Amino acid sequence: MECKNEIRPIDLEQFLPEVIRFRQSGWRMGQICAVRTPGGYELSYTFVKDYDICTLRLSIGEETVVSSITPIYPCAFIQENEMAELFGVRVENLSHDYHHRLYRIERDTPFKEKG
Amino acid sequence: MAERSVIPFGPQHPVLPEPVHLDLVCEDETVVEAVPSIGFVHRGLEKLVEQKDFKQYVYIAERVCGICSFGHGMGYCQAVEHVMNIEVPPRANYLRTIWMEMSRVHSHLLWLGLLADALGFESLFMQSWRLREKILDQFDEMTGGRVIFSVNCIGGVLKDLSDEQLKTLLKVIDEIEAELKPILRTFLQDYTVASRLRGLGVLSPDDAIAQGAVGPMLRASGVSYDARMTGYAAYGDLEMEPIISKDGDSYARCEVRLKELLQSFDLIRQAVAKIPAGPIAVPVKGNPNGEYFNRIEQPRGEAFYYVKGNGTKFLDRFRLRTPTTSNIPPMVSMLKGCQLADVPLLILTIDPCISCTER
Amino acid sequence: MIQVISVIAYLVGAPLLGGFLDGCDRTVSARMQGRQGPPLLQPFYDLSKLFHKQILAVNSLQLLLNLCYLVLLAIAGAMLFAGADILMCLFILSTADMFLIVAAASDSSPYSSIGANREMIQVMACEPLTLLMAVGFYLTTGSFQVKDIIAQPVSAVVMMPGLLFGFFVIMAVKLRKSPFDCATSHHAHQEIVKGLTTEMSGPTFAIMNIAEYYEIILMLGIVAIFFINATWWSWIVALVLCAVAFFLETLWDNISARLKWMTLFKGCWIVTLLAGGINILVLMLIR
Repeated sequence: MECKNEIRPIDLEQFLPEVIRFRQSGWRMGQICAVRTPGGYELSYTFVKDYDICTLRLSIGEETVVSSITPIYPCAFIQENEMAELFGVRVENLSHDYHHRLYRIERDTPFKEKG
Repeated sequence: MAERSVIPFGPQHPVLPEPVHLDLVCEDETVVEAVPSIGFVHRGLEKLVEQKDFKQYVYIAERVCGICSFGHGMGYCQAVEHVMNIEVPPRANYLRTIWMEMSRVHSHLLWLGLLADALGFESLFMQSWRLREKILDQFDEMTGGRVIFSVNCIGGVLKDLSDEQLKTLLKVIDEIEAELKPILRTFLQDYTVASRLRGLGVLSPDDAIAQGAVGPMLRASGVSYDARMTGYAAYGDLEMEPIISKDGDSYARCEVRLKELLQSFDLIRQAVAKIPAGPIAVPVKGNPNGEYFNRIEQPRGEAFYYVKGNGTKFLDRFRLRTPTTSNIPPMVSMLKGCQLADVPLLILTIDPCISCTER
Repeated sequence: MIQVISVIAYLVGAPLLGGFLDGCDRTVSARMQGRQGPPLLQPFYDLSKLFHKQILAVNSLQLLLNLCYLVLLAIAGAMLFAGADILMCLFILSTADMFLIVAAASDSSPYSSIGANREMIQVMACEPLTLLMAVGFYLTTGSFQVKDIIAQPVSAVVMMPGLLFGFFVIMAVKLRKSPFDCATSHHAHQEIVKGLTTEMSGPTFAIMNIAEYYEIILMLGIVAIFFINATWWSWIVALVLCAVAFFLETLWDNISARLKWMTLFKGCWIVTLLAGGINILVLMLIR
């Protein structure tokens, strides 16, 4: 069957209102992922409704603080904690903050640098 | 006011199938709150994209988990093939579908055995796993491996199946279906099993969607969503409907998985009947450049595979969002207010695979 | 004289016979599940292995309490086999169980405390029927003494079928078999690991197992006195029916899942009131 699979870039200011709009239209949480880019990160938040998926793409710098979407989608806490711990993305307002102890690893933010 | 005690559950616990740790705050035998904690099998497999090129990485993706092994390999290969615009030959798609459905059968039989064991019903556990041996033996005959059998490659599959092997597969499927009937009856109609499962961990359709449940958890709450309906691999040519149930409790999830077993047998028969002749792989030239979100339906639910290539032979990023990651928040919410005796059943009802979750 | 012989036979033979029955139970269960199963004498190999291990206990009270459990259970069984008062025998059985509960509670593990709580609930669920059973024997035969009960011209079971059925259900609780094995079971696959016996290891655990063998023989002894009467062949009938009862318990274990403690409690009380209560009522009316 034909289904949408789009990646939509978005700004930090419009991010939370867009997520709220997804929630109100009945989209469910798909996945959250971070990719390291030179000087920052690319965050992808994927939402699913029926068989369509739509990803919001946030491009941020290293020091940018992103607001957690757990007030809107409480189930996102595991994936956001992982993003914070492995990549060093700064997330605030997490409902369950594991303070970088979700995976008990020796090295801080191992996915931030190569090697 | 009853006294509260904290009972540690896992990661080493005879009834727990996976190394997850839960701190259960209990009043007498009622769980008031559950705090989950994972991280015991984190291996950082996603970081290996820096060291293994995209063709070698298939082997890493398959070894994320033993039970879901074939699915992970297939999901990864499909994502890279999409980025590189590679058209996989139809025979390879059918072979992937057959092996995927066999994986689903073996995973559900494993889960049934574990559920029976957690209920204290040892004989049912032994019978379920004995049936599973038949599927594992078939995997061994076809591919040389029982659990992790690397047959996926970018561009198709590595091994072909002869007509003889397909006929033997159909015979084994018939045998398993015949022997499955008494087991199915016991799970669905036995008084002691039903008294433990009915009404346990009820999840309404709205809650299931809000909390991000996937797979049989979502379908047992009445939401009709099965990623196989998007028609990847050969599923577009096969007839199937998502199996749903309206009750949303643990009994409904057990029922959904049992019916999916029977549906898998039907899908295998359809695929074997329709499989075309032809090559099983196409040669792959060049490097992936671009990104794509792929999703497939693993036995435990929908899994996302994100691949980002930058034109070199090493990928920029591979991200695997497994079904269990999405199912843990609903599990934690179901644990509130349950009895201690129900904790292993609630953990098992999401069919956890922590090895996948932590990679 | 016969009394002394039978008491000594019980004290010496019960662990051996109980261990052998446990081995049979494991082999029969395994065959029912389609497995090969361990050798018949496996419980004895296990006991000898346990005695060779080091005692790792949180406190030294645990061993003493387990020994009290063993001694009291042996006394209860010896009283039954000596033909003494059955009511007294059942009371000493309960006291022995109390010692086991205190032994489990004295460990500081959360699992054994919950196991101890559940065992107390099990005791509350089983006691009423065992007392009704003793009353039933008195109403049928006019005496609480076992030696009088077995010397009757007619077997007690003819007047007490409901109580026999009720006792069969209670025996499943006492023998720790599904569907009633919530305090501790023979497999550690429970949410409370092994419940009561989680913290018991090595020689302490071996002592608990030997006490369980005494209990098996005591339970089967009670089943036997339902059937024994003044004739010599009733002894053979009783032995055969005890074997059948033991087999049926194993079968029931293999065809049911484990129930929660609330269901166990309600189920036992319903069986007590219906099977036991009606039987006693009938006995009182026809007196």
